[in-house]
Amino acid sequence: MSKNGSEGRKSGQKLLYRAKSYFSVQANVLIVLFAVLLLVATAYPMFSVIRSSLTAGQMEAMMYNSLFSTKLKTGDFTWLNFKMLLTRGTGMMADWSVMQFWKPLWNSLRMSTYACLIAILIGGTIAFLITRTDIRCKKFFSSVFIFPYIMPSWTLALVWKNVFANSNVGTGVVGMLESLTGICVPAWVVYGIFPCSIVMGIHYAPFAYILIGGTLRNMDANLEEAATILQAGRGRILRKITIPIVMPALFSTVLLVFSSTMASYAVPVFVGSPANFFVLSTRLRSLYEGGIYTGQAYVMTIALILFGMILLGLNTWFTGKRKSFTTVTGKSGQVSYIKIGKFNYVITVILVIFLFLISIFPIISFALESMVAKQGDYSTLTLKYWLSRTEISGYAVAVGNGILFNRNILNALWGSIKLSLIVSLIVGSCGVLIGYAVARKRGTKLAGLVSGLAFFPYLVPSMAFGAIFLAVASKLTFLRGTLLLLIIVGGIKYLPFATRSGTNAMMQLSGEIEEAALIVGASWPKRMLRILFPIQKSAFISGYLLPFVSCMRELSLFVLLTKSGTLITTLLSYFDEKAVNQMSNGINLLIVIIVLLVNFTTNKLTGASIDKGVGGN
Amino acid sequence: MPKITLTHVTKQWGNFIGVNDLNLEIEDGAFVTLLGSSGCGKTTTLRMIAGLETPTHGEIRFDDKIMFSDEKNINVPAAKREVGFLFQNYALWPHMTVTQNIAFGLETLKWKKPEITERVKEMLKTLRIEQFADRYPAELSGGQQQRVAIARTLAPKPKVLFMDEPLSNLDAKLRGEMRTELKRLHRDMGATFVYVTHDQLEAMTLSSKICLMNEGVLQQYAPPLTVYNRPSNLFVADFVGNPSMNIVDAKAEKKDAKTAAVDVLGKRVTFHANEEFDLPDGGVCLGIRPEFLFISENGAFEGSAYSTLPAGMETTVKIKVGEEILSAVMFGAIDYETDAKLRYDITGDNILIFDRGTTRCIASGSIVVG
Repeated sequence: MSKNGSEGRKSGQKLLYRAKSYFSVQANVLIVLFAVLLLVATAYPMFSVIRSSLTAGQMEAMMYNSLFSTKLKTGDFTWLNFKMLLTRGTGMMADWSVMQFWKPLWNSLRMSTYACLIAILIGGTIAFLITRTDIRCKKFFSSVFIFPYIMPSWTLALVWKNVFANSNVGTGVVGMLESLTGICVPAWVVYGIFPCSIVMGIHYAPFAYILIGGTLRNMDANLEEAATILQAGRGRILRKITIPIVMPALFSTVLLVFSSTMASYAVPVFVGSPANFFVLSTRLRSLYEGGIYTGQAYVMTIALILFGMILLGLNTWFTGKRKSFTTVTGKSGQVSYIKIGKFNYVITVILVIFLFLISIFPIISFALESMVAKQGDYSTLTLKYWLSRTEISGYAVAVGNGILFNRNILNALWGSIKLSLIVSLIVGSCGVLIGYAVARKRGTKLAGLVSGLAFFPYLVPSMAFGAIFLAVASKLTFLRGTLLLLIIVGGIKYLPFATRSGTNAMMQLSGEIEEAALIVGASWPKRMLRILFPIQKSAFISGYLLPFVSCMRELSLFVLLTKSGTLITTLLSYFDEKAVNQMSNGINLLIVIIVLLVNFTTNKLTGASIDKGVGGN
Repeated sequence: MPKITLTHVTKQWGNFIGVNDLNLEIEDGAFVTLLGSSGCGKTTTLRMIAGLETPTHGEIRFDDKIMFSDEKNINVPAAKREVGFLFQNYALWPHMTVTQNIAFGLETLKWKKPEITERVKEMLKTLRIEQFADRYPAELSGGQQQRVAIARTLAPKPKVLFMDEPLSNLDAKLRGEMRTELKRLHRDMGATFVYVTHDQLEAMTLSSKICLMNEGVLQQYAPPLTVYNRPSNLFVADFVGNPSMNIVDAKAEKKDAKTAAVDVLGKRVTFHANEEFDLPDGGVCLGIRPEFLFISENGAFEGSAYSTLPAGMETTVKIKVGEEILSAVMFGAIDYETDAKLRYDITGDNILIFDRGTTRCIASGSIVVG
């Protein structure tokens, strides 16, 4: 007896000792901590999505009761959400699933495919021109080309509308093109899949540029030179060497652009819905609106998440194949640029014009639209929408003073900045810590789990994310409508960005750098703050920058969770709905300027930049 | 098999001159090393000959064919120069197997399928990498990657082969092996090799001619033993040889056409030159290879043992004379107590005398005490 007891005690002690020594390593503490946190932060929402998808919403209960003669009450368990949304119905509701799900799904897939192609074509070409040829004005191109990504995605959609809307289409508002030249473009140019794909493609083209350009820049130029020496022509080198080697970057781009486009809400609403072009995310919103088809909305959410996961799986399967690309990075200092000779001038001019249109023109357009009293009539320019110290009249709703003296607008702006700052601080720091833990424990299952979980929020569409946390807040009432709720939602949603840059940065640091500090007795916080952080400063700060920028311009994530006056984007959306055109354009301009300024100053001060945050170099 | 001629080749980046007015003739079938410390312009020179870099001025010819000339506005692209190039980091394509890597150049040249298969097999066999044919580069060790890179470069049978520090990423033992094989390969192929290295031992042992460069300027272009025995200036003297040549201050006074009285290492000696020479005004110094310092009990010179480094086959003895530390290499294992007094002679007929001002080598000869 006593022998057994002492043995039990011994093994207990042994276990305790092992646990103690395991947790004396900070990386182990962090990895376990984040594994638990992320599990909660992703599993709970997933659980609530699945539960809600199996629950009858208010309208759904009535619908099913009349269609299937069930006796459901709101909130009851049911499989019918799936059946209704995914399979063909009968009678009056026969086309419900086609209308609500299959057609929008088809549209989403088409739109995302086109957007991917456009993004890769534009971004890849510009990346190639900048990293591999002797084209002029590289610095200008690479800094201005990021604009469309930094700006909210709907800005380009709004610009598109501002320019191409004409009297023959929709509400008949006169756009810039018509008022200047009298040309009326056909309806399919203004609204529908065409503008949706183009706008999304252009918005994410910088993304493709950053990822592909990063790989090209890192790619040992010797790899291409080796082929040159073996007498391969330019086309053959591009086909056989360059493109296969940037394939992983292409796949990452496809993954990110495709899932972002699938989940995007603002653009299809602005330039899709007016032509009855609906995609999953816009249908999701309309199903969700008023909380009446919530069950089916969550079924749709699951579908969107599944798509993201399939893409992610394809991506890891591809990049994890045997022909690993780990040897890609080299350190060839001597890169000789391809001389494009007489085309240099032409290509440079074309690029300048193109970048002006997608990067600079939107800003000008917003400035103009916020200053014309009568839309389309540029002789009515006035500064009153900015500077008026008295109430501006002439709208269906009360809007208050000019933008710069409007208490509501300034409050909302401050709210957005405050939220963005807090979120970016939390998320950025978590990104560094997760990056540290994952890099130190690389290869372990736990590290795989943590980096996988940290990427998960990326796959959940913002709208659905908002909806999930609305459900969470309805249970945890103390969260309802608070800043804390927004911080939690923003924090989890933007974690993937920060984790990505944090992990990339940490992976580049060899363990010896930290061990060298450990040997001289530096404590863990000191090692982090004095050694690791300073070395990869710009990469880490980029991990703070991206969440800030994203949060600042985010609409769909927060729109369900807060009153319209809390954040600048929700206020913008309110003004847009109420057709307070000058104000919404002005606010848009404000957001764009703030985001660009923050990006620019951070870049100048610390060398951090959005591109580093996304994973470029 | 062409002869490569460089005339007045200069490469400039803004104000920085990478290679300055280089004239070089590489004979057909030679094994020429471009030697120098990092940043001396040797890699740039190689890349200019291969066509990967464009010179700012000058002319490069393969036999009579002009490959580059800024005056005549000719620049034959690298792909058309029909050369082989072995990169420092191998530059193997990570997405292709070993076989695909080797076959790539042959496919480009539109060889027929069976011929390609045949040639790839032959190369795999020559370089003893048959068992890795279907592996990807990431799955090979450094030495194996190196072999694949060589196979890929040699497959199209280039007449000129350029190599940019191909052995620098290998460990010491493997490097030694590969050196032996490269030298054999050169013999077997009969091609012209141009080889960049910063390792003077590699240059000494491999090449038929060394081209030593410093800060973009050619210092000496001669066979290895000439470079070793008769360096053209102090830089070359110091760069080649391990341990380095002892350079000691001296005061010289001409006696007749071939002799001078020299004060060196605290003694007055007579320098008997192998040829007639003139002394410069600015003063001279002597260059003495470590193997010419011979330690013996009745040596004419005095010093103390600063440190002794026995390596088995030979021993390097650091001798302290006044403020100077000299290196001497003795055959066999000897050990001196630190700071022990010892005596030595300066032997041999290859003691060099340098102009302190221009750093040029003036004459070689022997030293007689008294």
